[in-house]
Amino acid sequence: MTAKVGQKAPDFEMPAYYQGDFTTVKLSDYAGKWLLLFFYPGDFTFV
Amino acid sequence: MSAVADKYDQLQKLGVEVISVSVDSKFVHKMWNDKELSKMVEGGIPFHMATDAAGKVGSEYGVYDEAAGIELRGRFIIDPDGVLQTMEVLPPPVGRSMEETIRQIQAVQHVRATEGKEATPASWIPGKITLTPGPELVGKVCDVWKP
Repeated sequence: MTAKVGQKAPDFEMPAYYQGDFTTVKLSDYAGKWLLLFFYPGDFTFV
Repeated sequence: MSAVADKYDQLQKLGVEVISVSVDSKFVHKMWNDKELSKMVEGGIPFHMATDAAGKVGSEYGVYDEAAGIELRGRFIIDPDGVLQTMEVLPPPVGRSMEETIRQIQAVQHVRATEGKEATPASWIPGKITLTPGPELVGKVCDVWKP
């Protein structure tokens, strides 16, 4: 699947760090909400 | 990262959740948050910092650079139906504008609120005139809107 404006965003499930805890994020958890998803080259770089 | 965190309150007011993604592990995310970001952002990063170790998610979003093994600076706004509304990809040395990100969120939210009846012209910000596409607007944009 490829990301295209106007179509369903590609699904994902990723491990995550969130305020002291290790969690999992899934696109389906954000159904009914707006989501800003942003990628960056690497930790300890500017965004 | 801290630029997004700085605008987190505003994003929350707009009803927007945030996830950041890089190829770094969750352990490195924690280290970056604890050692550096928490000095720039009070309380540390307020949103989920996700790990895309093999670039699988980045590949589907068209932002994974296989040769370098990193993600490009991709930014995606996804609506409550899971539909991708806007996308922007910048090269690693170029930082993005949170003002522009927020402007785009406000624009797609406005279009959604009008059920697609109104469109936002170039550089639109809330309060500025919108356009209502239809036969009567053809050839008349110049009467109602100036760049």
